[in-house]
Amino acid sequence: MVKLALELLASCAGCEVSILDLHEDLIDVLEQAELVYAPILMDVKEIPEDIDIAIVSGSVRNEENKERLEEIREKAKTVIAYGTCACYGGITCMADLYSPEDVSARSFSDNPSTESSEQPSEVVPKLLPIVHPAGDMAEIDYYIPGCPPKENLIKDVLVPLIAGEIPEIPKKSVCADCNRTMEHIEFDKIHRRIEGEPDQEKCFLSQGYVCLGSVTLGRCGALCSAAGVPCHGCGGPSMDILREPSHDVYNCVINRIAHISKMPHKDVEKQLYDIGHIVYGFVIGSTIMEDKKVSLIPQLIKK
Amino acid sequence: MKQIEISPISRIEGHAKITVQMDDAGNVSDAHFHVMEIRGFEKFLEGAAIEEAPRITPRICGVCQTAHHIVSAKATDAVFGLQPPETAQKLRELTLLGQYIHSHSLHFYFLGAPDLILGPDSDPAERNVVGLIKKNPDLAKMAIKTRKIGQEITSVVGGKPIHPVTSIPGGQSKPLTSEERDGLLPKVKEGIGLVESGLEVAKPLFEQYADAIETLGPIETHFGSLTNGGALEFYNGPMKMIDKDGNSVSEFDPSNYLDHIEEKVQPWSYMKFPFMKQLGFPEGNYRVGPLARINIADSIPTERASALYGEFKDKYGMAQNPLLYHYARLIELMYSVEKAVELLEDDAIIGTNIRTALSEPLMSTDDAKNSDKRMRGVGVIEAPRGTLFHDYETDGAGIIQRANLIVATGQNNLSMDIGVRETAKAMIKGDEVSEGLKNRLEMIIRAYDPCLSCATHMINGDSPLVVDIHDSEGILVKRQII
Repeated sequence: MVKLALELLASCAGCEVSILDLHEDLIDVLEQAELVYAPILMDVKEIPEDIDIAIVSGSVRNEENKERLEEIREKAKTVIAYGTCACYGGITCMADLYSPEDVSARSFSDNPSTESSEQPSEVVPKLLPIVHPAGDMAEIDYYIPGCPPKENLIKDVLVPLIAGEIPEIPKKSVCADCNRTMEHIEFDKIHRRIEGEPDQEKCFLSQGYVCLGSVTLGRCGALCSAAGVPCHGCGGPSMDILREPSHDVYNCVINRIAHISKMPHKDVEKQLYDIGHIVYGFVIGSTIMEDKKVSLIPQLIKK
Repeated sequence: MKQIEISPISRIEGHAKITVQMDDAGNVSDAHFHVMEIRGFEKFLEGAAIEEAPRITPRICGVCQTAHHIVSAKATDAVFGLQPPETAQKLRELTLLGQYIHSHSLHFYFLGAPDLILGPDSDPAERNVVGLIKKNPDLAKMAIKTRKIGQEITSVVGGKPIHPVTSIPGGQSKPLTSEERDGLLPKVKEGIGLVESGLEVAKPLFEQYADAIETLGPIETHFGSLTNGGALEFYNGPMKMIDKDGNSVSEFDPSNYLDHIEEKVQPWSYMKFPFMKQLGFPEGNYRVGPLARINIADSIPTERASALYGEFKDKYGMAQNPLLYHYARLIELMYSVEKAVELLEDDAIIGTNIRTALSEPLMSTDDAKNSDKRMRGVGVIEAPRGTLFHDYETDGAGIIQRANLIVATGQNNLSMDIGVRETAKAMIKGDEVSEGLKNRLEMIIRAYDPCLSCATHMINGDSPLVVDIHDSEGILVKRQII
């Protein structure tokens, strides 16, 4: 029996819920693997030795997260960074848009419903000055981004791994699964996502709405565009961006809008109203993304 | 002086621990419930366009993401003064019921029930959902099926089963088609039978554990929840507060929450402690969530849940003991399935008028910088774990300037802390503390189904030493933080 562990770091637990979303298939997976450690589901308090596969979700926000990650790395043969937080930092890393002092103040000393207080400091673990993806803090064997990854992925990955095989999973962008039709339209204004009524048959970018489908790794089935909202980029960067040093989420999306609309690049850049949240929102904590020469992340984060 | 530490508290969502201090005579001198994490959503929402909030805030919590998504959309409605059409309101309510069905069945069957079905003293390696699957595979399959109904509703109506996307300022982004409705309805109807079967297993447990109900975490507090003229309500309505005897203390528009609720910070927990402003801290301690809602409601508007409510009231009256949260949760699970059937059978649910558009164009971000126009919107709903507040203030362009969130679990923080302390004092004598006894302290926390991802919003550490290793091309290959 393969020994399986689940560890959640600074995360929302959506990744763990996505595993439970195997529903009836969960019983099959649990017949092939023995769950030896998973605090969200079971009472084993210490990370056991000799884990075969550890599935780690979340980012590294505090010292306790860091220690847990290091310990599970030491004790597991294979570590999977599961979910966009573990791979690229995810939304939690948006905290890096502000200084740690400002973030703390907003919760504890400058908050309309709170008696102004010092930040808690007894018993609780110290926070690191910036948030990190788990994948930047430890050696990772497999990255499975997605917010959360689609439930079938865990099956497509775990079942082969349990059998000792290397899993093969799709590498296309979100656009590949999107049913909307793309057109070249000469528009000169980027719309806020709340403005107007988007045509539900046409590509959002073609209508002047910022949609990250073309720069985002797919596997989600383009669910958001099918539900009438543009892609938010929660699956993390596309393979093209990961492979090409000169490609970045920001410059690729600008190029794409300029290409579709015939707007000059500088106009597109001028009209993008919020890069931190809508372009880099899910990857702002990633050193892989930050270290690209074309990346704007270094200008955005406050260390 | 000796300290017992229970860490991590398991079978809850998030990171927490319990510490128990012993004096030299072997008695408990103090004990606390500590929440170990914080992430800072309130701050990093600043600078985001308001329409992004319903997509950012679900990431606060992957268990109750839908509650954050919907309350956030309600707050964005309020920012622009938009009234969503009736169909949109019903679709949101239906999505929220999907949330309840998933969350309540997840908590009872997967997290809470192993203590009751396998026993608080059973082997900790087996005392979990896997042990439950081994011991009672039929029950486990039923649990999985029940939760699946909730996830299917969220998936179809919300666009995704986890982190849904369809609630937007002014309404919904996508209607429910009649085919989708016809696909969902029989599945949800099947849920009624599934919850009934679950209750057959669960109800005797409350008899079996009558002692534990009395002894684990006993406390008497005020309660708060939304109400609909006395009926159980999740989506709308004024907030009502009652005292420990069930007498009404106040009823107010929850968007004025700042006049009624205040939060205290304790140096040993990242989770804040809300209390009723007029009574001060700690006298103003109140609880929220399933037990609060069942205590406050004087009726439940669906047939089977109403009968369950009657039985519960006859037996427990004004219920205070934390383990009864499990019972109240199951009553709500039945209500959620019945109410979802009702909404799906209502043809308004497949209406196509689903969004109220902005009444005037947005100010440009440049103009907003030179204008002192401010907009504010508060959204409030009942999340599975209790009353949830999102409060956003924006500039004229709808860019968020300030955000304040009070999440359900925080409002039970003080009761969890007191419950652990008092129970530890009553039960722990001398140096020998069995695993089963430690687990009983965790059972108090578990009963509240705390969601600590929700409850924790971020901070600062000391500057670390960073070592970067670059390859010959100057590309960073490793960053080590020491």
